[in-house]
Amino acid sequence: MSSAREQILGTLRSQPGLKVPPLPDVMTSASSDATPIAERIAAFTAILNKLGAPVDVAPDMTAAATRITEVLAQHNASSLALSDADEVLAIAQTLPATIERIPHDAPRESLLRSHAGLSTAQWAIAETGTLALVSRHERHRLSTLLPDLHIALVPASRMLATLGDAFVRIGPNGAPDAPTITFITGPSRTADIELELIVGVHGPKALHVVIVADA
Amino acid sequence: MNTSPSNRKANAFHAQAKNALNDATLKQALRSATDTFAERRSAAIAAVPDWEALREQARLVKDATVARLDHYIEQFADNAEQAGATVHWARDGKEACAIVQKIAEDNGATRLVKSKSMATEEIHLNKALAERALEPVETDLGEWIIQLAGETPSHIIVPAIHMTRDQVGELFVDKLGIPPSNDPKTLCAHARERLRSHFAQADLGISGVNFGVAETGSILILENEGNVRMTTTMPKVHVAVMGIERVIPRFKDLEVFLRLLPRSGTGQHLTTYQSILTGTDSAQDSANGQGPEQVHIVLLDNGRSKIAVDEKMRETLACIRCGACLNACPVYQTVGGHAYGTVYPGPIGAILTPQLAGMHEAKPLPFASSLCGACKDVCPVKIDIPSLLLELRQRAVEGTDHEPATKRSFFESMSWRMWSWFMRGPKRFRFASAMARLGQSMPLVHRLVPPMAAWHSTRELPRLAKRSFRNTYKGPSK
Repeated sequence: MSSAREQILGTLRSQPGLKVPPLPDVMTSASSDATPIAERIAAFTAILNKLGAPVDVAPDMTAAATRITEVLAQHNASSLALSDADEVLAIAQTLPATIERIPHDAPRESLLRSHAGLSTAQWAIAETGTLALVSRHERHRLSTLLPDLHIALVPASRMLATLGDAFVRIGPNGAPDAPTITFITGPSRTADIELELIVGVHGPKALHVVIVADA
Repeated sequence: MNTSPSNRKANAFHAQAKNALNDATLKQALRSATDTFAERRSAAIAAVPDWEALREQARLVKDATVARLDHYIEQFADNAEQAGATVHWARDGKEACAIVQKIAEDNGATRLVKSKSMATEEIHLNKALAERALEPVETDLGEWIIQLAGETPSHIIVPAIHMTRDQVGELFVDKLGIPPSNDPKTLCAHARERLRSHFAQADLGISGVNFGVAETGSILILENEGNVRMTTTMPKVHVAVMGIERVIPRFKDLEVFLRLLPRSGTGQHLTTYQSILTGTDSAQDSANGQGPEQVHIVLLDNGRSKIAVDEKMRETLACIRCGACLNACPVYQTVGGHAYGTVYPGPIGAILTPQLAGMHEAKPLPFASSLCGACKDVCPVKIDIPSLLLELRQRAVEGTDHEPATKRSFFESMSWRMWSWFMRGPKRFRFASAMARLGQSMPLVHRLVPPMAAWHSTRELPRLAKRSFRNTYKGPSK
């Protein structure tokens, strides 16, 4: 195996006389946009709405819980897979008892049959309508992927302006903050048959974001 | 001629292209798909004020990386291992396939799922795995359709672009026994249901890699469907196959490429999902099914290191596989991907294939272009594809250390010798021009006399002016 490595590197080093152009400085949009949070939320909402994902703003956690209950009812969802974020566990306590709660470490079969999934997001990106989930802070990989409906509860203070701002946060010191970072921008989609847009091919068929004002 | 997938060859481009030209359904599908893509792309980049600056930056980053690929790929490998991944090096496709086979067998894996990856298409991984009864189920909708049909992809972003909804419907009725339908939404729902059960049972997932980050050992994969997330999360073992030129130096460089790739490929400002994966999750998370226990990265050379040290051609490796050049190319728009007879079709395929597979495998491809330059205009990393095509044409004709020169026909070499002789003296030139004018006034001559006849079978020679510029310059005719 090492011989393959050596041989490949050997070929790459076989023409030492070739030009080596310098690596340019990183180009980033970080801190380039100082719009207030309310405007960021408006931009985020506009983009996600266009992709078919509703965005609500709730004044507090109680209102957020009510909204989540309504959304679950709209989708006839009676089982909810939870990530292990503190906000998620707390709000799940306050949801009606009729909703079955499935913890993040439940057997895969129960995650596969859960109707909805609830997570937060470590960051939201206004420019692109994107949620950024970082596994070290929240185990999110299955609860945001397997159910038909994904509800994300996002504290308003996590709304960033640009993609570059997100890279600074998810990669402090230039290295990713966790083994798994997932960016989510809308529901799962495909255009593989005659380029016709179909929503919900493998991942969630619906994404619903509830932004909650910080306490 | 038979154009079933196994019989298609890059060297048979002319016959395959002729076949494609006679396929009205294909023409219709291609026309509407490439038009739609071009419109979406234009709209998406019109909304970006600094598009040119992004292209410039991406290219500078790529040039600097390719020039020190030895350094960056080694740094990537070391950091990926540090983070818990196992890195394998493969000199060629055969070696890469054997590595994946061994990982599957070592883990007793028998149920494999796979997301879309051009590198795995390039090395015919599925075929190699099928020989050991390990054929993975393709999970990207387009790839799955292609797999069910026993076909090969005809576009690097939309593999089943050549198929209509009716054809996909008939295929599903035939292979899956569904009730007749040509409704994409219904067909998609069937796919979701079938593939869910494959994901639930899979013990090994294979993916490609869009970008590998040298300074952190991370890989980034873009997608819309969620099948990449499934493939890289649900099975206990994840194997990522990565061409060595996918590496970029810094984590923060990802931003620029994320701005360029989706807009160029599908006209989206961002694809639905990006997975940024660095090594393995904690043992506890793996035990809870939050991620695979093992992550393997197979670094694939397969001809790339030779391109990296070929100063004239190395910019080929800047390609980020967006597919924009396919959609913009008048040749691709007309004949489609299968006519190229290769895994990588279109303009990028025409420069990549002769270099990866060898000129003797793909001699017609550098010539399958009008050199109009549309590919260069849309390329997000500004690859000068027309110039690279010209360089490859020269190599195809004159030969290289490794490849024989093309034997020219008697008529062709005679014509060039005559052309050269006539051009070397003013009197001879005037005589030749006069003869050409005379020849043109007899319309059938140039269509019947070889070698002009062959040239004229598909094109029209521009007519010479009745008087030469030189004579007009001298003054009115007497």
